[in-house]
Amino acid sequence: MDYSSEVLRRFDSPATAGETDGADADAGLVAGEAEDRSLNVWVRFQVQLRDGAIRDVRFRAFGCPHTIAAADWAAERLHGRPAAALRQIDVPRIRRELEIPTEKLGKLLRIEDALAACADRIGVPAPED
Amino acid sequence: MERSVYLDYAATSPVDPRVAERMLRCLTADGAFGNPSSAHRHGAAAMRLVEQARDSVCARVGAEPAGLVFTSGATEANNLALKGVLADAPAERRQLVTTRIEHKSVLDTARALEAAGCEISWVDCDTRGVVRPEAVAEAIGPRTALVSVMHVNNETGAVQDVAALAGLCRERGVLLHVDAAQSVGKVPLDIGAAGIDLCSLTAHKACGPKGVGALYVRPGVRLEPQLHGGEQQRGLRPGTLPTHQIVGMGSAYALADPAGEGPRLRELRLRLWRGLAAIHGASVNGDLDSGAPHILNVAFPGVDGESLRCAIREISVSAGSACTSDSPEASHVLSTMGLPDARALGSIRFGIGRFTTAEEVDYAAARVAAEVARLRALADAAPRWCSA
Repeated sequence: MDYSSEVLRRFDSPATAGETDGADADAGLVAGEAEDRSLNVWVRFQVQLRDGAIRDVRFRAFGCPHTIAAADWAAERLHGRPAAALRQIDVPRIRRELEIPTEKLGKLLRIEDALAACADRIGVPAPED
Repeated sequence: MERSVYLDYAATSPVDPRVAERMLRCLTADGAFGNPSSAHRHGAAAMRLVEQARDSVCARVGAEPAGLVFTSGATEANNLALKGVLADAPAERRQLVTTRIEHKSVLDTARALEAAGCEISWVDCDTRGVVRPEAVAEAIGPRTALVSVMHVNNETGAVQDVAALAGLCRERGVLLHVDAAQSVGKVPLDIGAAGIDLCSLTAHKACGPKGVGALYVRPGVRLEPQLHGGEQQRGLRPGTLPTHQIVGMGSAYALADPAGEGPRLRELRLRLWRGLAAIHGASVNGDLDSGAPHILNVAFPGVDGESLRCAIREISVSAGSACTSDSPEASHVLSTMGLPDARALGSIRFGIGRFTTAEEVDYAAARVAAEVARLRALADAAPRWCSA
């Protein structure tokens, strides 16, 4: 399978992989995860908040290179943004920017689900249908 | 330039330079370029080389030269064997017995025959990937015309006891077809001594060219041609004989001596496994002792196979799965052996061949170990099913 240079770069060296440093005692820490066994994918995000803003986001993932690269992209984009951004991750944009094939969309949606789980724990209201 | 290591010899192999040199002599105006079926001197020169190649192929696999039909490869040979025999069988005997671990060219042909009204009886393998002859015997019934079982499995290297299968087929008056695409040069194969009725062969797995193979048809076995348009090869496979391809196959088979190459391949495979065995949880899919010497299929629990292959992309290896779709499909061979999906999807097939070096094997083992550790750290705290 061909991967874009951006997918390969993030897959080889995902800057946001791992755990938050935990040095900020006043910051709130939540984690949320999602999985789909039929797609062989699991994603977990850890989000550190301070004064309603996202101070740090880290991820762990089991899955294909596209999943790992997309989780890294999403975590990087959330830095410094308000907590509501956890519900505003744009999966089609991730797919376009990283040139991820359409058939991987189901795996990318687990990233959206994991971030939504973080938002639930913080109490960010879900958008009305 | 980035380093490049080829460890996918079970998929295909580079053409041996000695083979390529002989092929080149059949292409240009100063060589044997004539149509082997032509009556003039150019045709006769080409036909002499074709017959020499036929003898070389048959000498390697213990077959009667009169039974060899050249094809475009093992896929065509498998199609011709299965469709040809079933089409010639009487209506009340159109049952095929085969296994669930065959190559796609047998599985898909069997399904096409089933759609056309034939009956297919599927046989499983054990956890080592071995098909018990007794299980095949149980599947044979009064309607069975043909049994088709591969010699060496292309994913695990498991070797089937084709001599035992031939014996039980003969006792029951049923023909045996063997797909031996992976065997030549790695595992001894004697078609005549084993009593095999039909046998598919290919050149490109044995450092020969792609695009040529053969079906051995024991003299006296009847099958319906699947192509029409000429009298070449007794009408069983019409079309102009590709002299350069056939010469390439003959030359490759002359060089592919399992007694010479097998021990070196086995030693390299063992060396590779010793390197990989240091990885926690790594296990061989199949049996190291009884398997073919050139294939090593290893499961790495807790790692997604597509990610591992991408991480070691300077090393060409194959998956035990088809991962191009959103819903990854575990290998049908590994699933039949009883592996859970996550383990099958985290498996890699290494194929060792004539030009593989010990240094390449050591490099591959070290790189795999490093990347498995990195990917497992990335998936730390993942649910248990990820490393089942």
